[in-house]
Amino acid sequence: MIYHSIALFVLFRIIYAINKNLNPEKNSTSKEANPFMRYIALAYMSNPQSPKGAVPNVVALEVLRKNGIDIDKLIKLITAGVGAEFTTYYYYTILRMHCTGLEGEGIKEIVEDARIEDRNHFEAMVPRLYELGGALPRDIRKFADQAGCPDAYLPDNWEDINSILKVLLEAEQCAIRSWGEVCDMTTGKDPRTYDIAQRIMQEEVEHEAWFIELLSKRPSGHFRRKFVGQSPHTGDQGSLIHL
Amino acid sequence: MSYRPVCKSDEIREKSMKMFKVDHTEVLVGRLNGRLFACNNSCPHRGASLVKGELKGDNVVCWMHGYEYNVFTGKLENMKSWKKENTWMEQSSEWRRSGDLTLYPIMEKEGNVYVCL
Repeated sequence: MIYHSIALFVLFRIIYAINKNLNPEKNSTSKEANPFMRYIALAYMSNPQSPKGAVPNVVALEVLRKNGIDIDKLIKLITAGVGAEFTTYYYYTILRMHCTGLEGEGIKEIVEDARIEDRNHFEAMVPRLYELGGALPRDIRKFADQAGCPDAYLPDNWEDINSILKVLLEAEQCAIRSWGEVCDMTTGKDPRTYDIAQRIMQEEVEHEAWFIELLSKRPSGHFRRKFVGQSPHTGDQGSLIHL
Repeated sequence: MSYRPVCKSDEIREKSMKMFKVDHTEVLVGRLNGRLFACNNSCPHRGASLVKGELKGDNVVCWMHGYEYNVFTGKLENMKSWKKENTWMEQSSEWRRSGDLTLYPIMEKEGNVYVCL
């Protein structure tokens, strides 16, 4: 009985303190609010996707704001960018399966390199998205709908290998635009995001050069990766990449 | 809400646009057929920087996906595609969805341009 009474007292005390911190204007003594309870109150109100809630003051974000970064906009751009990488990985799987015949065999491994490296781009940037306070949408349909690039659908005339190459090229070019926006927004202001985005950009630019070479015979420096999905620039980025 | 000076009038030449930062907001200011316009620099579709686009008729064309917005009404006018079709109609309707441009009142006075955020 005594234990129950103590437990009830503590519970009421916590509820009172949370209420006091959530509605400081109603409390004349709000200046005396316990900082820890303020933390609990903020956590209580925070992102429902995150059970432990937001930390009141993230210095890494404060620095970005002081540098003039619009964090909400950056989160949107990154979410769109990683959405494009993820959907591209999915659609490239279909495209690669349709690289058939003698001509298809010639580009199959190049498509595979681009496919795995695009997945790596997703893996490299997603941790940063969460650091910035963003999150992947709970529903993958929403994720795909807000992707920064259109779906790289298998063309109707897929037996013409050039039609597949055109889709691949367009997807890479869109990704360059998408990450270019992130680079432009973060250069000199958010070195961590910029570093990851520019590494992704470097590989996207290489992918574009491969597909331009294959379509137009324009010379390029492309030879071959050491192994499939090597990601020479983003390979050591992000905790989610497993090579 | 009050008008803020952004630049000298002669900085915005006919059929040109420039981006200015006003109170942490990126504002795109331009001139078409002698008329000034001001809108938010973010494309309503995917947030690309509109100043990287181009002007075509009364529209600004976003460089990322070719979406065209009327700079005086803010309305989406066209979804030009650099893909296989002329538009993005093969894409899902949710992906194609876009709001309108955020427009700001703009005026020119004594050789200066002012916008109201």
